[in-house]
Amino acid sequence: MEISKAIRRVDNDEKVSGIAKFIADVKLEGMLYAKTLRSTRPRARIKSIKIPKLPNGYFIVDKNDVPANNRVKLIFTDQPFFAEDVVNYIGEPILLVVGPDKAKVLEILEQIEVEYEDLEPIFTIEDAESGTKPPIFGDDNLFADYEFTKGDPDAAFARAYRIIEGEYRTGIQEHIYLEPQGMLATYEDGTVTVYGSMQCPFYVKNALVYALGWPEDRVRVVQTTTGGGFGGKEDYPSLIAGHAAFAAIKTGRPVQLILDRTEDIEATTKRHPSIIRHRTALDASGRIIAMEIDIKLDGGAYATLSPVVLQRSMFVSTGPYHIPNVRVRGRAYATNNVPRTAFRGFGAPQSIFAVEMHMTNIAEALGENPIDFKMRYFLKKGDDTATGGSVHTDVKLDEMTRQVIEMSNFYEKFERFRKEKGDTVLRGIGFSAFLHGCGFTGKGEEVIKATAKLRRRDDGKVEILVSSVEIGQGAQTTLRKIVAFALGIPMEDVVYENPDTSRVPDSGPTVASRTVIIVGGLLEQAAKELKARWNESGEIEVIKTYRHPEYVRWDDEKFVGDAYPEYSWGVNVAEVEVDPVTFEVRVKKVWGVYDVGTPLDERVVRGQLEGGIVQAVGYATIEVMESKNGKLMQNTITDYIIPTSIDAPEIETRLVVSPYPYGPFGAKCLGELPMVGCAPAVAAAIQHALGLKVDEIPARPELLLKKWLEKSR
Amino acid sequence: MVNAYRPSTIDEALRIRNETKALPLAGGTDLMVRYKNWAGLPPKFSQPVMFVAHLHELKGIEVEGDELIIRSATTLTELLKDGRVPEVLKLAVKEMASPLVRNIATIGGNICNASPAGDTLPPLYALDAKVVLRSVEGERTVPIEDFITGPGQTVLKENEILCEIRIPMDEFDSIFYRKVGTRRANALSKVSFVGLKNLQGDRIDDIRIAFGAVAPTVVRSRDAEKMLKGIKIDEIEQIYPSIEAKYAELIRPIDDQRSTAEYRKIVSLRLLRFFLLGKAD
Ligand SMILES: Cc1cc2nc3c(=O)[nH]c(=O)nc-3n(C[C@H](O)[C@H](O)[C@H](O)COP(=O)(O)OP(=O)(O)OC[C@H]3O[C@@H](n4cnc5c(N)ncnc54)[C@H](O)[C@@H]3O)c2cc1C
Repeated sequence: MEISKAIRRVDNDEKVSGIAKFIADVKLEGMLYAKTLRSTRPRARIKSIKIPKLPNGYFIVDKNDVPANNRVKLIFTDQPFFAEDVVNYIGEPILLVVGPDKAKVLEILEQIEVEYEDLEPIFTIEDAESGTKPPIFGDDNLFADYEFTKGDPDAAFARAYRIIEGEYRTGIQEHIYLEPQGMLATYEDGTVTVYGSMQCPFYVKNALVYALGWPEDRVRVVQTTTGGGFGGKEDYPSLIAGHAAFAAIKTGRPVQLILDRTEDIEATTKRHPSIIRHRTALDASGRIIAMEIDIKLDGGAYATLSPVVLQRSMFVSTGPYHIPNVRVRGRAYATNNVPRTAFRGFGAPQSIFAVEMHMTNIAEALGENPIDFKMRYFLKKGDDTATGGSVHTDVKLDEMTRQVIEMSNFYEKFERFRKEKGDTVLRGIGFSAFLHGCGFTGKGEEVIKATAKLRRRDDGKVEILVSSVEIGQGAQTTLRKIVAFALGIPMEDVVYENPDTSRVPDSGPTVASRTVIIVGGLLEQAAKELKARWNESGEIEVIKTYRHPEYVRWDDEKFVGDAYPEYSWGVNVAEVEVDPVTFEVRVKKVWGVYDVGTPLDERVVRGQLEGGIVQAVGYATIEVMESKNGKLMQNTITDYIIPTSIDAPEIETRLVVSPYPYGPFGAKCLGELPMVGCAPAVAAAIQHALGLKVDEIPARPELLLKKWLEKSR
Repeated sequence: MVNAYRPSTIDEALRIRNETKALPLAGGTDLMVRYKNWAGLPPKFSQPVMFVAHLHELKGIEVEGDELIIRSATTLTELLKDGRVPEVLKLAVKEMASPLVRNIATIGGNICNASPAGDTLPPLYALDAKVVLRSVEGERTVPIEDFITGPGQTVLKENEILCEIRIPMDEFDSIFYRKVGTRRANALSKVSFVGLKNLQGDRIDDIRIAFGAVAPTVVRSRDAEKMLKGIKIDEIEQIYPSIEAKYAELIRPIDDQRSTAEYRKIVSLRLLRFFLLGKAD
């Protein structure tokens, strides 16, 4: 399709040249700087806070400065903006010191003495499960506890010929967006305006309205050029937007609050670590007749988005496979760790890792090639999903798998590497298949009712008015392209400014790979209508509100039906080299074939695929984050290790297109997909190279060596 | 705020150092990280600072007799470009930091920083390098293993500057270097290993072994090396257990944010075995 051809990204020049202004670059007249005093204890009662005498022009902003509700409004309202009587994680904000001179602000901050009375902390899922320590959240210490069933798993397990079990673990992952979090608030004429780096302007606005108890028209949120998000700027910005706003209101001056990198790593959200158990029932012919899956997530100190992360994790936990009988249990535990929340893939990378490794292990147990084994279970159009919904459009997994086998020469290498026994290198190759549910999970899209607006202005330009933001993923380019192509006008005639909540309708957050498929879909519809009315004179405004396609059915109580209106698909092969002396892993090459529907810009798509693969390679191998007594050990970019360009594998990707009739030009979802499914291909390749089970990521050399020694004993 | 000095000669630098105890700053790639402050504020130095990287007396590489002299403010990139720099040192430097950092980071800074994970150190220990220290009072030459006394600890006096590194120009037929880092660039060592060997016929004539990042300072055992000298290659296996025991005693790694003590120890010994016997298991 013409629209698929790559064009120059709209935001290229300003970012490459350095002209783009990020929030830390903005300096306003009379602006004050805020720095946060944070808890140094994982769980404690605050007995007293001793504050030195403040010089003129310096302020403390704390829980008493929150006008209405000292709670960040999200799914629950458990998280305070500023700690009240207790702290629940190291890094939790207690108060701000605000003033004109940074050195003085620091000096005051360092003089503040907090007296704590330590409480018994809960650090791990095992700790939380034991139930021996007082709960952090509710009576059972669970942010969410769900279960759903399809078919009759009990009967299937009762008649099983063989049951194969496995336990899989995934680690914490830190977002490391290039631009640390930051906000700037002003208070003028009774209106508070917050500017900053964010994915979800209306989440921020709604949180502020709730905290302030003010009418909506006195709260305005403006997104500024945002240097990456990956989910880390989904809910967290609401917290610091509150901080900046309360400070601006109290001082009557603009207040800037920017986190330094170490502060950002220590205090902001992470990907949920998980423990996932699989039990699979096979009949006498070796066919899978049922799966039982138990997912446990460590949610950290506050609920954030944990319940929905857990839902997505559960809904895709049988992978891209058709399994007749399924039971899935999921729990998200409260712990005294820094809160976990959205991160590219939103719970799916954890459960896809588990199911992919488990399927590989079943194939091995049956003496079969994992690809051949997995292919037999691939979902097809018309099949029912894990939640008993339906696959409504064509699935091209067979063709995609055939292509990736051919690209990577999989079978030949699979046999050859197994026989090789190198003294200096061990080679392995692994395969994974995966899917991603497009848009919000469950009833999400129905609740948010995304609205998008197109306006043809008097100057003849067409303006996109949506709350979706550019975070490096290419939204500025692709959304403009959709409108330009649908209207048949040049790209330059389409205007799309960073959203300002006082100007744009709520088209929902920039998350869940929903921007193109949902918001882009609305813009395509709006553009079509605008085209039909093009001859009208003057300004024209077209507004569109999202509704699921007719066929979507969903029961949010029982978790039955279409958890997503549509899916994107992918397959990966990874080839690795493991050093048999040191167990260092080098991911040599990753091949990928994806179906994201119609690619709206081939280079933007490739950027997302390659970036997602590299992020998943890091997740699978080197991104180690541990905490010791609630304190993160890898709290700098020196110690939290993400892949550099020479750690990145060679990457070769292809697209296979099964268009989505309700997506703009047939597009589906893209952003999260490559991150969701690549880690198990890497882990399977390591497993193949070493001949030992890799049931945990990151598969760091320390872990592999330990397993190797256990095996050789 | 502290004073910063930019002397124009080494003599002026030594005078300033003597009078103010100013902290020498070469490439600043350790110091600027160590003293980093809230963005927008100057670094948190607590004593005066003196720039030294521009001093021409501290730049350059030359040969004097059978010694190679590397002046302390020579950058890592400059080391890589010089044909006379021992191969094993280059192998280590090539895997340090990234091209950007190597363009300003100096060998003197790596030595004086005295990090257990400093990557030029194991090659310098194995090569019997010496450092030349100068002050207004004069000059002294100290073997590298006596210069570094612990993590971040050296015998450098408050009025001294490290001026040069002297390395005997020995040749080795077998050079083995391994850095086990957390990734392949901009990564600090979990373990590093240097093995140098010269054979005469099938007997070991000279052998040098050094381990980095697995003890407070670089591990080198002259005892173990003595036991290996004169031994036939195919006889190493017989005495290997006692060799390994020697090193096992000296290798005392820690658990930290980069690795575990267990991994560091086992991998050190696997590298030793691989170097001496050609196999790790
Ligand atoms: C991103 C990054 C990656 C890195 N990777 C590595 C790595 O892979 N391996 C590694 O070993 N290191 C690494 N480092 C650390 C650092 O780059 C090296 O130790 C470098 O060699 C230090 O040299 P410098 O000139 O920058 O030292 P500086 O920071 O200028 O000084 C370091 C210390 O030496 C003292 N000093 C410097 N010159 C003299 C002198 N002439 N006389 C007396 N004292 C002196 C200083 O006072 C200070 O105490 C890395 C650093 C960064 C920022």
